[in-house]
Amino acid sequence: MIVFPGLIFSLITLLTAIWAERKIAAKIQMRFGPYYASKRIGGYFQLIADAIKFGLAEIIVPSNSIREFFILGPILITAFAFLPMAFIPVSQIPSSGSITSPYYRFFFDKFAGISLYQPIITPYSLLFIIAVASVVPILTVMTAWASNNRFSLISAIREGILTVAYDTLIIIALISMGIEYHTLDIASIVKTGVPGIIANPIAAFVFFVALLMGTARFPFDVAEADTELVTGAFTEYSGLLFVLSMAGPYLLTFVYSLVFATVFLGGWLPLMGIPGAILTVIKALIILFFSVFMRSVYGRYRIDQILRGGWKYFFPAALLALIIGMIGGIFL
Amino acid sequence: MKEYPKKENPFKLLGQHLEAIGTGLKYLVKPTRITLMYPEESMVLPTGYRGMIRLYKDVCIGCTLCAMVCPADAMKMVTEEGKKLPMINYGRCVFCGFCVDICPVDALKETGVHDAAFTNRRELIFDPDKFSQDFDQPPTMDKPVRKVRAKIDEKKGIVYEPDD
Repeated sequence: MIVFPGLIFSLITLLTAIWAERKIAAKIQMRFGPYYASKRIGGYFQLIADAIKFGLAEIIVPSNSIREFFILGPILITAFAFLPMAFIPVSQIPSSGSITSPYYRFFFDKFAGISLYQPIITPYSLLFIIAVASVVPILTVMTAWASNNRFSLISAIREGILTVAYDTLIIIALISMGIEYHTLDIASIVKTGVPGIIANPIAAFVFFVALLMGTARFPFDVAEADTELVTGAFTEYSGLLFVLSMAGPYLLTFVYSLVFATVFLGGWLPLMGIPGAILTVIKALIILFFSVFMRSVYGRYRIDQILRGGWKYFFPAALLALIIGMIGGIFL
Repeated sequence: MKEYPKKENPFKLLGQHLEAIGTGLKYLVKPTRITLMYPEESMVLPTGYRGMIRLYKDVCIGCTLCAMVCPADAMKMVTEEGKKLPMINYGRCVFCGFCVDICPVDALKETGVHDAAFTNRRELIFDPDKFSQDFDQPPTMDKPVRKVRAKIDEKKGIVYEPDD
């Protein structure tokens, strides 16, 4: 089919993101990072080797855990981190002259008046993304509870406290964009031709910080703090379940990066068709790499520092973005 | 939690954050690496480096001073054909060099070898025959190891220069 961000694509993105994280952190810390597994492409095969190793490792289920939820947890996290991609338009289908033009009718979005590379056409795509993505922290808490491990429990508490702080920011930032563009459809937002970062820079900033918070990137890594909590909610996991538990947050980062690329960075414009899709993905990858780059710049904040920052500085900033959205909406 | 009023300017804070990110980006674009690519190149060791110890069997007079001074009980005396000779257990040795210092006839010497690997603990114990040979492990690579010398550079931190 013509669903561009498919499963294989997501897998490659995931491996690239982890490779980039290790390589960027190594460069800034005066090291080399992955190197020997194919020197020519910077040790990229190391990640594939790691993936195969974890994929073939034995899955150990602790005897005092809740078995069903323990196994379901990472699977559901990955699934729900993956689902919002169904609502993100990556490009526009030109009415003629492209390989995908025969599908023009099938994916016609009558609300925006254009045909899209978007599996599920809906006028409320922003709302759907927020709704589906906000299930992930609940599943993380469920996973942590099912693990029956003290590190996981502390992680779950932190995740629960943090969720309230960052979900508010994400929702207000996206709703302010919705108010500004008079629509909750991402395609309509892109169609106006004004990137959100120009129309409402504060919303873009708040959304980016909330993206870092929501997907446990540095400096907001408290829920998965590997130096104090092993890996937080995913302490007990091994083998393929560990791969899934690691893939979930990265996929969620990529989903939010795609939202950032489309809503705030103008998406596929000025291109169309497959080049447009590639442009959107490149923009999203830049955001993704930038968010993993943060690991090498920052240390980890304490939970109270994050909450103080979130509620004292970013929440007022988000409200300011809402007001800017209301004022900007008059002109757009 | 009680918050104590602190004078902090959010815009100044934001500026500092941007400065930190800018520094990170600078290092990302112009990386300065100080990694020693170990198996391919290795450092020239200084004279007097306390590496693995070697015995000169013919010089040794069997005075047992080295075994007596050893703080880790790594060195033990054995009798071979009526002559007392030291043997060493590298599983215990702390490379303090006391035995080399105390030897009255200089029968022990410190070599520059420090990068050795053993597959089991029995191999760590060197009897006098093995102890009195230059310890040498077969090279793991086909290419010769490049010997380098570390130098402090003001801009790059540490640079490695080939030793000639």
